[in-house]
Amino acid sequence: MDDRLRETLSAMMDDEADELAVRRLLSFSDQDEVRGQWQRWQQIHDLMHGTGAAADSVSPATDVSAGVWQRLDGRVPASEQHATKATNLQRWHWPAVAMIAMALVVGFGAGSGWQGVGEPELIAAQAGAEPNATATAASVSEVSLQGLDDRQRQQIHRYLLEHAQHNSVGAGRGSVGYARLVSADAGGY
Amino acid sequence: MHSIFKQAKTQATEPASAGKPSMTSSFDQTAPDQGDSQTDLQLVRKVRNGDRAAFDLLVLKYQSRVASIISRYVFDSHEVMDLTQETFVKAFRAIDRFRGDSAFYTWLYRIAVNTAKNYLEARSRRPQGSADSADAENYDDGQRLRDIASPEKLLQRDQLQRALNKAIDALPEELRSAFLLREYDGLSYEDIARILECPIGTVRSRIFRARDAVDRHLGPLLNHSASN
Repeated sequence: MDDRLRETLSAMMDDEADELAVRRLLSFSDQDEVRGQWQRWQQIHDLMHGTGAAADSVSPATDVSAGVWQRLDGRVPASEQHATKATNLQRWHWPAVAMIAMALVVGFGAGSGWQGVGEPELIAAQAGAEPNATATAASVSEVSLQGLDDRQRQQIHRYLLEHAQHNSVGAGRGSVGYARLVSADAGGY
Repeated sequence: MHSIFKQAKTQATEPASAGKPSMTSSFDQTAPDQGDSQTDLQLVRKVRNGDRAAFDLLVLKYQSRVASIISRYVFDSHEVMDLTQETFVKAFRAIDRFRGDSAFYTWLYRIAVNTAKNYLEARSRRPQGSADSADAENYDDGQRLRDIASPEKLLQRDQLQRALNKAIDALPEELRSAFLLREYDGLSYEDIARILECPIGTVRSRIFRARDAVDRHLGPLLNHSASN
């Protein structure tokens, strides 16, 4: 990186670089060098303003961006997953269970028109130990899974798997819509 | 070290009171890089167009401040690191929703606070402190972080601070004046050019050379800091 480009980077630090200069800098071939210089000057700036007193884990010299890209690209190291993974799991676990139970009831009940014989215990078992999910399932208990043949059982397994996958990708949004759209008899989901 | 800076500031105030209101408004900026930043907006536009390098620069610019915000809520250093990364991940994913109504840093600040609060909520812990987005513009995170930093880090920081002061003192006067007016008073190049009675290009060059000289002076210490 020549002095002209470094001077542009310095002007960027001060919010004095125009769009063209920023574009030229970002298109420079050696971005590692740009990042290194930018980071060092940011360190000096932070030090001068007292914001260099960062937490032990994230000093100004730490490069957080590598970890950020790992997460964005789905390459999160196991050691770094614990905090957010625990948060996400706790956040979506019970809603996901309730959604699956609901999908089971709505999808099969409405799509196939099966006759219900009233076995809430069976539906409650699908919903796990979650009280809310159990209550929801019990309130629409006019559905039974008894009397399914092998093809239907296979279909229900695939259905649940697909639904759970859809739920996890969509973070819970639109899951019921999906369940209503897909009929157990339709196949091809 | 700051005598020249103060002298330059006094000189600057005089012409401002003589009918240049735009300059007086500049002196109110105690935290210039936390307000509206055209550079940030330019980088955000680049990120929206898929430029990863632009996002890297934003991360490097704000990672310390984001970490310090999060450390007001969470005291475990690994958790702070995790949540700092998580904040930037969320910011990247939501960057299309950043409309530019507020400064990028203020927007990022809100994400950081919410990330920390959500984390504590998920862990069924009460937040240890409170923060509003309005704090983003004037929050002094230095004291808080000094409280939780390890003795080694404090020592290292003191060494860096001393070396920084020495490096600035060693700068030629014209470089030091321009650099300090920019860094401590947040003046624009245009205002500095008026004060120092030189072209804007000269101001730009002087600040660059000052920054470069300080960087070279601190070089080994910064590298040492990076390796820890």
